[in-house]
Amino acid sequence: MDEYLLIESQGPWGGPGADRFVADAVRLRESGCPVSLFLVENGVTAALTGGAPVLHDLLKLGGQLWVDTFSLDHRALARERLLPGAQLVDMDRVAAKLLETGVRGVWH
Amino acid sequence: MGRQLPRADVLLAVMGGPHVNDTVTSAVRLAQALLERGATVQIWTCGHATGLTKQSLGGSKPRNLENWEYDYPSSAMLAKELLDSFPEQLTWYSCRFCTEERGSQPHIEQIRLRPPFKFTEHLDAVDNALFLGVC
Repeated sequence: MDEYLLIESQGPWGGPGADRFVADAVRLRESGCPVSLFLVENGVTAALTGGAPVLHDLLKLGGQLWVDTFSLDHRALARERLLPGAQLVDMDRVAAKLLETGVRGVWH
Repeated sequence: MGRQLPRADVLLAVMGGPHVNDTVTSAVRLAQALLERGATVQIWTCGHATGLTKQSLGGSKPRNLENWEYDYPSSAMLAKELLDSFPEQLTWYSCRFCTEERGSQPHIEQIRLRPPFKFTEHLDAVDNALFLGVC
């Protein structure tokens, strides 16, 4: 079974595509695929408390929620505001995941 | 006989306008992280992203009035430094049609022009392809 690394760069206020992309992550997880959702650029705003409710579903299903440390700091967003369960990561971890065998990456 | 593309681990296709958001920063950060892990990487620029590696950009950005003494490298210089640091692992291609349409020539020396209809060959030559900036 494929594993997915989904990279969301736009966030809840970037248009409906971002919500649908995150919903795809949930559906993939529901179908049993391992999923890591990496939020980068404005996408990190989805992981703030009150950001994107669908992220709770992803975490409940066992999906990984990664938040780019650089993007969060760049926007002066406090780490304390992140959803419980979200993990701060740097680009090296994303690169490592992308290079694992069987991992399919998608960028939005 | 056609050109045989070298295999690569990852293709980063930078398709969107380069300065409307942080796409270029993210692409370069991810490319560097992959390269530092020993991966082989192809970068393909299309549309206005072909302008990132124009020779006419020079080595530095115009001076920043708020930080007059600091030398900010141009995107062309960033690309050159990345290519010089990982000459065996990184190959940077630019779409020939978009390059000509947008006047992005000449590129810095290391950039390889490819016709757009050859793009699928690049998809076949990599294990993972990420499209940045298409939607």
